[in-house]
Amino acid sequence: MFRLLKTTSFRLTILYTTVFAICFAALLFITYWTVTAALRDQIQGKVDSDLQALAAEATSDGTASIVRDINEQLQYTGETIGYYYLIDSHGRKLAGNLDHFAMKDGWQEIALSAAILPKSGREIDADHVLWGRGAHLSDGSFLFVGQDGFRVLLVQETILESFAWSMGIAFLLAVLAGLLVSQGFLRRIDAINETSSAIMEGHMKERIPIRGASDEIDRLSMNLNLLFDNNQLLLDSLKQVTTNIAHDLRSPLSRLRQGLEEIRIHSRSVESYEAAIDSAIVESDQLLETFSALLRIAQIESGSRRTGFRSVNLTELFGRVVNIYRPVAEDAGKDLKESLAENVIVQGDSELLLQMMANLIENAIRHTPPEAKLAVFLDAGISGPVVAVTDTGPGIPAEYHTKVFERFYRLDVSRSTPGDGLGLSLVAAVAALHGINISLQDNNPGLRIVLRFPK
Amino acid sequence: MKILLVEDDQGVADFILRGLKEHGHVADHAGNGKDGLFLAASEKYDALIVDRMLPGLDGLSIMKMLRATGNHVPAIFLTTMTGIDDRVEGLDAGADDYLVKPFAFAELLARLAALMRRPPVSEVRTVLRVGNLEVDLLKRTVTREGQAIELQPQEFRLLEYFMRSEGRVITRTMLLENVWDFHFNPQTSVVETHISRLRAKIDKGFSSELLKTVRGVGYYLRADV
Repeated sequence: MFRLLKTTSFRLTILYTTVFAICFAALLFITYWTVTAALRDQIQGKVDSDLQALAAEATSDGTASIVRDINEQLQYTGETIGYYYLIDSHGRKLAGNLDHFAMKDGWQEIALSAAILPKSGREIDADHVLWGRGAHLSDGSFLFVGQDGFRVLLVQETILESFAWSMGIAFLLAVLAGLLVSQGFLRRIDAINETSSAIMEGHMKERIPIRGASDEIDRLSMNLNLLFDNNQLLLDSLKQVTTNIAHDLRSPLSRLRQGLEEIRIHSRSVESYEAAIDSAIVESDQLLETFSALLRIAQIESGSRRTGFRSVNLTELFGRVVNIYRPVAEDAGKDLKESLAENVIVQGDSELLLQMMANLIENAIRHTPPEAKLAVFLDAGISGPVVAVTDTGPGIPAEYHTKVFERFYRLDVSRSTPGDGLGLSLVAAVAALHGINISLQDNNPGLRIVLRFPK
Repeated sequence: MKILLVEDDQGVADFILRGLKEHGHVADHAGNGKDGLFLAASEKYDALIVDRMLPGLDGLSIMKMLRATGNHVPAIFLTTMTGIDDRVEGLDAGADDYLVKPFAFAELLARLAALMRRPPVSEVRTVLRVGNLEVDLLKRTVTREGQAIELQPQEFRLLEYFMRSEGRVITRTMLLENVWDFHFNPQTSVVETHISRLRAKIDKGFSSELLKTVRGVGYYLRADV
């Protein structure tokens, strides 16, 4: 319950309710004043017309005729609504239901107390107020006509009371609704929190339930779930990499150790010692090379190289790489051709793009049988330059198309062919840095690696 | 030659100092950046070998300060970092070359030799000669014993580099970096292939072999007298 009061939605509800209450109070104020003013005007109008009629009659027919009118009036309407007071110029009361009244002309509002009422035994409470106008008539007598303002006060009271009730109920409802909404909201937030904690505790498969309302919480949950999926993928690949590194570094280390032990036991001549040390150096150099390659990939993936991007002429760069590798391909009995569009310029890191192309060509040279035909294509493209490196070798089955970019992944499970299993990982890292989309396709026969540069 | 080594790792320092002495160089050693900068600024050296990571003052700062004071002694950076940015940073700070630890001593020696015999910038040669092999840089022609030799552009670059470094051992990585701009170790025999092609063109059928192999280290081009 206490937590509910702290939720954002509850606080919002309270805020809205407060704003609502302020509006409500303004409405009340306006209603109160307009109704009161209208009622007063009505009473005042009635009093004035009554007074004028009586005054006119007194002037034409004499004071005596209005005495009768007043008495009739009082008899007819009862004593509680209209009040009259008529005295002649000598101070004698001629008619009316008031007493001891000050002879003042003009509008007056006086508390309707026992002091000005004749002893009639009527109980008068404080709500009653006398509103009326006094005037001296032409013969010197004084006439006062008034009404009880009680009705206006009653209406005012009723307005205040009904507003108070409805406001109280509305406020209560708002708080209840706020609590309900907050509780629903809180339950969903709790689900997100619980899932996050579960994942942090190692239950990697947990996901936030989606309600299907496609509201903002669902969208947030979906995004978080995607984030968890990505995380899972990264973790899996990290696990894979760790295992692969262990495997790949273990075997050369074992070889190294075995060779050293062998020579320690069996060698007796300086030449054989030297030969053993030489091969140990070669083995350790290869290990160091693997580490360098890993570090290099990690550094490329960190993205810091992006700041050094410059204009690179792909035509020139790839042409150079192809020319450097053509003799290597020829010596292996393979044919390396290129077809490069003129002056294709991109923003990039020429050193890394060069290594990317070199790795792709080396890959093609190393994983194809003799007499394979290799080719590099560069096309300016409508949506950015497109590069293809093709060969007529055995190709890569579709199910391994994403796997081959993983560190140390090799199609040759026995790992008998040379290579460190990092070449394509580096290609993938350089491509990612440059926003290049890589796809592997069937070259019928062979492999076609297509790189699509961003525009 | 007089060389200053600024290196805090005693094992690496001993390895380098011993090697330098064996090859007839005089070497001073500073174990930290401050001493290194002091020695480099106060004594006259033919070359500096500076480790990048040093206690106190690091290698980058030493190089920047030396270069800022107009000291242009050739310098090689040593580093354990194989990062691609590190090389650029080192060269930007004013180092002339860059070597990643661990390295073969022959590699360091070859690079030192290349640095110290760098020809002055003003010297413009258009024809290079080694023995009876002649390369005309303007006409892009190669002749040996008056016989024209056809070379591919990549082979021409390779030969030009060897001609300019006549008699000096060029390591595999120096070739990769300086001839082909390869700042990585290729997985195929790029260097060997190009060397054997070049050799087939400039040496095959001639009386003497100019392009020689130093096993496990590299190659050099020299006419036997």
